[in-house]
Amino acid sequence: MRNYYKEGPASKLFDVFNTIILALIVFLVVYPLWNQLAISFNNNNVAASRNIYFYPKAFTLTNYEFVFTNSSILEGAKVSFLRVIIGTAGTLLCTGLLAYITTIRNFSGRKFMRRVFVITMYFSGGLIPTYLLMVQLKLINTFWVYIVPNLINAYFMLLIASFIQNIPESMFEAARMDGASELQIYFKTVLPICIPVFSAVAVYAAVGHWNAWFDCMIYNADGKWDTLQIILRRLLLEQEAFQKIHNELIAASKFRNLTSEGLRAATTMIVTVPILCIYPFFQKYFISGITIGAVKG
Amino acid sequence: MLLKTNTKKLPVIGYVEKHTKKKMWKRIINERELWIISIILLVWVGIFAYYPMYGVIIAFKKYIPGQSFSQAQWVGLKYFIQFFNSNQFPLVIRNTLAISGLNLLFGFPAPIILALLINEVRRKYWKRFVQTVSYVPHFISWVVVASLIFSFLGNEGLVNTILQSLNITTKSVGFLNEGKYFWGMITAANIWKEAGWGSIIYLSAIAGIDEELYQAGAVDGLGRLGTVWHIILPGISGTIVLLWILGIGDILNAGFEQQLLLGNDLTRDYYEVIDTFAYKYGVQRGIYSYGTAVSLMKGVISVSLVFFTNWFTRKKLDIAAL
Repeated sequence: MRNYYKEGPASKLFDVFNTIILALIVFLVVYPLWNQLAISFNNNNVAASRNIYFYPKAFTLTNYEFVFTNSSILEGAKVSFLRVIIGTAGTLLCTGLLAYITTIRNFSGRKFMRRVFVITMYFSGGLIPTYLLMVQLKLINTFWVYIVPNLINAYFMLLIASFIQNIPESMFEAARMDGASELQIYFKTVLPICIPVFSAVAVYAAVGHWNAWFDCMIYNADGKWDTLQIILRRLLLEQEAFQKIHNELIAASKFRNLTSEGLRAATTMIVTVPILCIYPFFQKYFISGITIGAVKG
Repeated sequence: MLLKTNTKKLPVIGYVEKHTKKKMWKRIINERELWIISIILLVWVGIFAYYPMYGVIIAFKKYIPGQSFSQAQWVGLKYFIQFFNSNQFPLVIRNTLAISGLNLLFGFPAPIILALLINEVRRKYWKRFVQTVSYVPHFISWVVVASLIFSFLGNEGLVNTILQSLNITTKSVGFLNEGKYFWGMITAANIWKEAGWGSIIYLSAIAGIDEELYQAGAVDGLGRLGTVWHIILPGISGTIVLLWILGIGDILNAGFEQQLLLGNDLTRDYYEVIDTFAYKYGVQRGIYSYGTAVSLMKGVISVSLVFFTNWFTRKKLDIAAL
């Protein structure tokens, strides 16, 4: 923005002050992660190298070696990845289809469908009835409990519908004239056009799936379908979990020096780095997503 | 529009003439593909969204696992009264209001101030860099945040190490094990995680302020600070009030994931909020009806609060969210 006011010396002083404060904020955001990164590369068993600030004092790759060869952690990573990919694809397809239907101007059920789903944004059964539903549907201790209940999201529906409405009707009319079915129109015409809004929704959905841990905890207590987040949580809160993971390879001498801090730090980095790498590229998409959402209320 | 209208009625988009059922059926058959898709979607939403809403009814019943929701025996307000009379009720309410209160007091202004500071940055690349970094914490999970907090505030963590080496304390401070630190810790964590993300909305609101107002302000002799106080803040006041109303309505939602991850038995007296209480009794101890009653009570009060705050601000300030 241009300055319309006069630039005095106080103003320039404020600029310096502002830069310092913002730099401090950037530091506060970045430092905890940096510190964790340093700990993950450190051999924490040696007392002298305990206090890590910016760099590892006793560099080692053992923490990561363990993480990448440990079967329960690898299984967790597999489940997490599967969940993100299948879950995000499912949500995009289903919610996108729903959104498309609510934008077809001549469809008599259009407003009804929209309202039925918008209501779910404001009211819900809550944790316990939902949990009991999963029990009744026999979705407990399955992979699908991560996917099926999340297939449709009313907020995403509003975002996508809002985007589709800005597309000239003629595109769809032309396809309709050619005798294409609505499903064909959806897959051949709507999907390619909607890539920008689908990218925004994909970011939200993927991050949601990657970071989810509570649904795993209450629905999949068996441990068969653990995700990375739940494994990390166990390392956090349950000393026995660390012991169990450690005991598997205690015979192998190179892992003898593992500490829970190092292992936890390495797992934390593995859980965080994929997100950090992806999100800057999708920034403009999710920002536009928020502003559309704000307009719609 | 493709509607056939008679001269008496005005054509309205989506209006279906009611006086001929045959026309309506014909229409539905015409749109059958869309209706088939819709029915499938409706089945999904019926099962996963509306059936649990119906399930809330077990708050008034004595639900035993294995029954369907309708089968359970009616007990009326028994569990609500039980909650009010329980000896944990004051504690749970106190914690909920304290944590939410701190969140509103400190966590609400934080994104606004951040947005104002970022807005004052002249250099484009620094501005974009700060913004991008500021919303990193929003994308990491609470599990990771808890892991970072443990590393910092643990007994052998960074903060304790620094405090001891500067001789401020002789023993480790039990940040994670003593209840009195919990509220401060969770408020700080909430701000760290969400302030950057929250500032996005305010920044886009600021971007929506009419440029002419800035010019007029400069003509009137406003300096930099004056511009902020007299033009920017009033310009985004609508957004601020809207989010404030929603924030008050949310006051009984003092968090859930954070408490479960950051809290432990030693700090239970400070971290137990309504949602964790409902979880403890409802899911962990399997007293489903009790937990549902607690959650339902919270939901009803929250909705009432939103409507009340909305009405109040409409009366007093002429701004409304709903």
